[in-house]
Amino acid sequence: MNNRRIISVFLPHFAIQRWQKRTGDNPEADLGVPVVLAREGPRGPVIHDVNLAAIRLGVRCDARVTDIRMLIPSLRVEQADQKADRQDIARLSQWCHQWCPWVRADGDNGLLLDTTGSDHLWGGEARMLSGMIAAFASLGLTARPAVAPTLGAAWALARYATTPAICRAGSIADDLSSLPVAALRLDRETVLMLRRLGLKTIGALQALPPAALVRRFRYHGLLSASPSRRLDQALGRIPEPLTPEIPAEPLRAMRQLLEPVCDASGVTYVLHDLLDELVRRLAGRNLGARRLRLAGYRVDGGVSAISAATAMASQDAGHLGRLFENRIDRLVAGFGFEIMTLDIVVFERIENAQWDLSGGTDDDVALSQLADRLIARFGHDAVLSPVATGSHLPERAGVLTPAASFHRATDKVETVSSPRPLRLLKTPEEVQVLYAVPEGPPAQLVWRRQTHRVVRSEGPERIAPEWWRQRSTARLRDYYRVEDTEGRRYWIFREGLPDDGRGGAPCWYVHGLDA
Amino acid sequence: MAAKARTPFIELGLMTNFSFLQGASDPAELVSAAHVLGYDAIGIADRNTLAGVVRLHVAAAGLGLRPIIGCRLDLLDAPSLYAYPKSRAGYGRLCRLLSAAKMQNRDGAWQGKGQCDLSLSLVSESLRAVDDPVLIAVPDDDLDAFSTGLPRLCQHLPVLGHIAASYLYRGDDRARINRLSRLAVQHGLRLVATNDVHYHAPARRPLQDVMTCIRQKLTITKAGQRLHANAERYLKSPEEMLRLFADWPDAIRQSRMIADACRFSLAELRYEYPSETVPENRTPDDYLAELVWAGGARRYPEGMPDKVRKTLNRELAMIAKLDIARYFLTIHDIVRFARGEGILCQGRGSAANSAVCYCLEVTSVDPAQHELLFERFVSEERKEPPDIDVDFEHERREEVIQHIYQRYGRDRAGLCATVIHYRPRMAIREVGKVMGLSEDITAALAGTVWGSWGKDVVDLRVKEAGLDISDPHLKRTLALAGELIGMPRHLSQHVGGFILTESPLVETVPVGNGAMAARSFIEWDKDDIAALGIMKVDVLALGMLTCIRKSFALIAAHYGRAYSLATIPDDDPAVYDMLCRADSVGVFQIESRAQMNMLPRLKPRAFYDLVIQVAIVRPGPIQGDMVHPYLRRRQGKEREVYPSPGPEYDPDELRNILQRTLGVPIFQEQAMKIAMVAACFSPAEANQLRKAMATFRSRGKVSDHKEKMVGRMVERGYAPVFAERCFSQIEGFGEYGFPESHAASFALLAYVSSWIKCHYPAVFAAALLNSQPMGFYAPAQIIRDVREHGVTVLPVDINFSDWDNSLEPCAGAGGGSSWAYALRLGLRQIEGFSGKDALRLTGHRRRPYEAVADLRHRARLSPGGIRLLAAADAFRSIGKDRRAALWDARAIREAPDLPLFTHADAEDEGEDQPVSLPEMPLSEHVVTDYQTMRFSLKAHPMAFLRKAYARREFMKTSDLPYSRFGQWVSIAGLVLVRQRPGSASGVVFITLEDESGVANLVIWPDIVERHRKIVMGARLLAAHGRIQIADNVIHLVVRNLEDETRLLDSLVDGPNQSASAEPDNIARPASPGSGRHPRSISIIPKSRDFH
Repeated sequence: MNNRRIISVFLPHFAIQRWQKRTGDNPEADLGVPVVLAREGPRGPVIHDVNLAAIRLGVRCDARVTDIRMLIPSLRVEQADQKADRQDIARLSQWCHQWCPWVRADGDNGLLLDTTGSDHLWGGEARMLSGMIAAFASLGLTARPAVAPTLGAAWALARYATTPAICRAGSIADDLSSLPVAALRLDRETVLMLRRLGLKTIGALQALPPAALVRRFRYHGLLSASPSRRLDQALGRIPEPLTPEIPAEPLRAMRQLLEPVCDASGVTYVLHDLLDELVRRLAGRNLGARRLRLAGYRVDGGVSAISAATAMASQDAGHLGRLFENRIDRLVAGFGFEIMTLDIVVFERIENAQWDLSGGTDDDVALSQLADRLIARFGHDAVLSPVATGSHLPERAGVLTPAASFHRATDKVETVSSPRPLRLLKTPEEVQVLYAVPEGPPAQLVWRRQTHRVVRSEGPERIAPEWWRQRSTARLRDYYRVEDTEGRRYWIFREGLPDDGRGGAPCWYVHGLDA
Repeated sequence: MAAKARTPFIELGLMTNFSFLQGASDPAELVSAAHVLGYDAIGIADRNTLAGVVRLHVAAAGLGLRPIIGCRLDLLDAPSLYAYPKSRAGYGRLCRLLSAAKMQNRDGAWQGKGQCDLSLSLVSESLRAVDDPVLIAVPDDDLDAFSTGLPRLCQHLPVLGHIAASYLYRGDDRARINRLSRLAVQHGLRLVATNDVHYHAPARRPLQDVMTCIRQKLTITKAGQRLHANAERYLKSPEEMLRLFADWPDAIRQSRMIADACRFSLAELRYEYPSETVPENRTPDDYLAELVWAGGARRYPEGMPDKVRKTLNRELAMIAKLDIARYFLTIHDIVRFARGEGILCQGRGSAANSAVCYCLEVTSVDPAQHELLFERFVSEERKEPPDIDVDFEHERREEVIQHIYQRYGRDRAGLCATVIHYRPRMAIREVGKVMGLSEDITAALAGTVWGSWGKDVVDLRVKEAGLDISDPHLKRTLALAGELIGMPRHLSQHVGGFILTESPLVETVPVGNGAMAARSFIEWDKDDIAALGIMKVDVLALGMLTCIRKSFALIAAHYGRAYSLATIPDDDPAVYDMLCRADSVGVFQIESRAQMNMLPRLKPRAFYDLVIQVAIVRPGPIQGDMVHPYLRRRQGKEREVYPSPGPEYDPDELRNILQRTLGVPIFQEQAMKIAMVAACFSPAEANQLRKAMATFRSRGKVSDHKEKMVGRMVERGYAPVFAERCFSQIEGFGEYGFPESHAASFALLAYVSSWIKCHYPAVFAAALLNSQPMGFYAPAQIIRDVREHGVTVLPVDINFSDWDNSLEPCAGAGGGSSWAYALRLGLRQIEGFSGKDALRLTGHRRRPYEAVADLRHRARLSPGGIRLLAAADAFRSIGKDRRAALWDARAIREAPDLPLFTHADAEDEGEDQPVSLPEMPLSEHVVTDYQTMRFSLKAHPMAFLRKAYARREFMKTSDLPYSRFGQWVSIAGLVLVRQRPGSASGVVFITLEDESGVANLVIWPDIVERHRKIVMGARLLAAHGRIQIADNVIHLVVRNLEDETRLLDSLVDGPNQSASAEPDNIARPASPGSGRHPRSISIIPKSRDFH
């Protein structure tokens, strides 16, 4: 028999309480409105968690949302964010380190703590548990902890016992015996089968000859279908270790310097040293840096830091180094740094890719490295890159986005095949045009008080308004490419048709210029 | 209609909405647009399909346009082609080509549904060197690729003569068309102008964009360049096209020349009956007469009554006159096959209730006994092929279908298509998705449509759903959804409408594969076929026929009497007595609650009463308020009145039509006849009216007809109120009305099934259970009913049960007689138990099984199967109750089914120690019975709760007959059925069951709203209300309701444990992946709900 003490914390309403917290939904105010969180099930959305009002109406988890909605039309259905929940529970497990160093998230609404030898710090287990309940309550979470010598027993007691249970090593069997068999972490089918056999409580299982039970619930690698193994685990007959989650190793390199450095060259030297180490570690984990932070800890206790970012995850020490190159003098060294650290604040997984057989670099890489260097020099918003949106309207066909946030486009937007002018005016400028009404080609245009005779024209290219976005009075445009006597080319359009019923006579505009 | 002036340009490239989710206008819209623009002809070119051509043909004929039939061939390995046959032969080749590509994929394997793999080589094989179809190459955006591919195209397709050119405002249209023109000259081709029409008017562009998004699963904001830049692909006027192609006048001229060259019309598709049905050297009429007289001799062994002989002579004369003998021969041929295979079948439909069909053994309604006038159904005016549907046993219909394919070949036989249209919910959901509305909002919008067919989106109770109707985006979404409703979405196979032809069917219409294996169906639906005058035979499935055949087999096996549909004794008073008691559970058609309510009021005493009974309890007559007048008149409470027209007309014209139904129109024919007689509709007009009614769900105008009919009736001196009511009755019929001939065929099945139920209740119950799923009732009710009729029902047992439910000799069973049969439940009643395991079990049962493990060692059943048997408590004959059997079954090892493993079982684990398990209480047995078989023979769950309910002064349902009218009563029971009929304006009907019987609850809308969750969700319901009795039918009109479902939990756990089951204590299952279907875990199976 071991003398471990394990606490299982059951958070029965974790998802809905986290949702309330995230959305600022007031739990007091929810008394009236039934709210449920839905997740995707095999046959449409199913209910993931429910609030108090919904519980009162008898809404149960795992029911289909459509079924329940038919019963309760006033039901408010929100999307469950299971990913955020998992992150929250992981964070919560960090937070639980206040009680003991061995903590693990347990499923999506529970936590496991190995508190062996920690309880005296809290004045005994009873006070530790009540403190826990209070601490969780302060986060807006209902918690039901139980402590037992085995993981299985603690799990069962947290979920199926009525009071915060404290189970002693000698009394596991007794404490569990009145609990239903479902407390043994068994799947539904096994529970149903046990109940059909009249084995409704853990006590009834204990009363059986073990061999008889083993023979009827053979172990095929699925613990949740094997009551005998689960019972043994709960009773501590077979060990079930609690492996805590160790927080991921931070990507940080640090140097304690024998002599404080205060000049740029010294810092650069340390930087490259730090980078080499970090890049080695990145390469080992197939990661690339997106944002880095170099910090110096001054002799006088101050800290000075600079950051850099990349447009594409990178493991290239030379490239990463260059991002800091011209900015090292922004570090305020004072009497010199005695410690320097380099953190990779944001990193991403990168695919191992050989750019080409010769080992040269891909254009994309070269371009993004150039962009990184330009950003490092001129600032985040100074380098823009055009991204095609696929709109037919020329001014909406592309948008400029900061190059740093530009990701390699995975699905390339199809681009228009008809030619576009080299230069697009920011706003089209109105021109006077001679043309044969209604749809004749332009013969002459007056732009900026200059008259141009059109000698050649091509068009029209008709672009209709985006009906889903624009008002119904928006007019279509007929674009023409025209060339004047001097060989200058303009991209002009007529807005509207004379009889389109959306305004008076159409106007003409210059929208672009060609070389 | 005056011939139209010839226009210099003809638009050929018309894409309709039968190019699914590409064309945004239906053929009728395009034709009427063309009509307005002055076209005298118009060409159709849907993508790889001719599905829309009949509609175009019909619409064009109505407006005096000439349709040019063709299609656009989208090839896998070459540019697309427009193809327009000039003659019938060319059309046939085009159909054959499309069929080939739809039935086999490129590798020669079975083609998937809706796929069409056309390759250049296939096209060139089919259309090579035949100067018949006009072929036009359609260049795509990339002209460079087109020009490099063109020589290959020309080489493969000597027929190719044209290149299509479109002026679509792309900016470079002139350059593009000039380049195409040069290309054409280089290859000796001519340019043809077309506008690549996608919709009839520019206003359809948004819908077309939305369709593109639906097709490509995009939202409108993300679709970008996949949408067209402008709305130019509409049907332009000839003048406009002339203007655009002013520089290429030949392209315009060519369109006219092609239109003139393509003279093929769908009217040429003359229908030919298959010739196999007539022996050589015989004329069809001659042969039919021979078969009929021979059959007549069989039908009337004591000599044919004179009346029948006369009728036959008259019918045969008419058949000869209309030249439809081969139609009857074809039906006869199919029916003869079915009979040879022992498959029970029965015909119905307009022509079915004739003496000819009776003698051909297509139907069993004896013309000597019943007044069924053939002429009423096959009229000379309606130059349509007669209509006979043949119902077959549902379990064996596939054999008939495959026989038809085999006998006539896949290229001569095909199923009809059914065009699946966008319905409101689907339209809203899809458009909402495209417009970027959230799932929640689209669900709320879709939820405002009650039933699957709202008339219009405008009707939606959008505001009710809490949405802002004035929001422009929402408004636009709703408008678009409204446009999408009724657009065809895809083709599906008709349930059983077969087309059989003499010449290859694939040369009449493209035939493609169905989603089901070994099914192929044509591209046209039944309206299209009717429009072209093609014959269709409906081969339908009917569960009751399966049941009746199985009943006949059981009667023959156990009682040594052979029956058929035609030899069941007529007009048996015992049967009618039974029906007057509303004792009709399981009986065909008259078993639903509404029908059961009607039986004691209608008191059927003769076959024709059943015909009316079947027809009257239908949404049509109910909606038209015909039920109550009929009942009052039948009970003599009301005089029969026949409104008369003005004095100048025959005052008895309505009496002649309506007398046999006491002045109330009940059958569809009567309604049509009223239109013809009282409103002077010509046969053609009446036919139009009938069709408008039948299809008004999807699209159509009923109001025109209404004006016409009501106007003319008033003109002829009828009261306007009466005229209006007549029309609304017809309206009701359109969708749900029954023709008299159908009703007669159904009534026969109703009578036969009643007769079996009346005289052989055990047989009937066994056959019903063996034919499940079918009918209105679940096995639990069927079993309950048969026990109430004094039949002993024996549980499923490994040593006695077969797969099917069967009869077992049993002393003392059957009440009065000392020796009768009991019903032994079959293994098929165990949910999840496989037929394979059942076969092994019965195959190895030469001596009784003695232990649970025997099933493993002797019969090699799967351990899972043994556990299912144990859970179903099927081991009683070896002295093991459910729990003991399960305990033993669990010990059987899951191992590969090899002798080595099965034998090694016992040895390696040592002797099994005996264990005493707690005894399973009866209540838990009952609940487990429900879980494994959905019923229990041991007791009713309510029996265990009765004590508590009795303390609360609840009544048993069996005591209800002793209550007073208006008495305040409380009852509780399991919810069997909930119904919310559309015709009952929000009233919900619930059938409750307790251990003593069933009770009918009526819940008015206000109570439904107040207790919505209970009404729709409760399994165990306590109801309080007042008793209402009318014509021996008892209802409880509910004032208050309670959901007591939780009491059912206590049946398993005992009251102590269930009380503590607070929501907090319900942990989710440890492994979420193991979630089974919720049904298998719930205590009592769900009710059957009809909305």
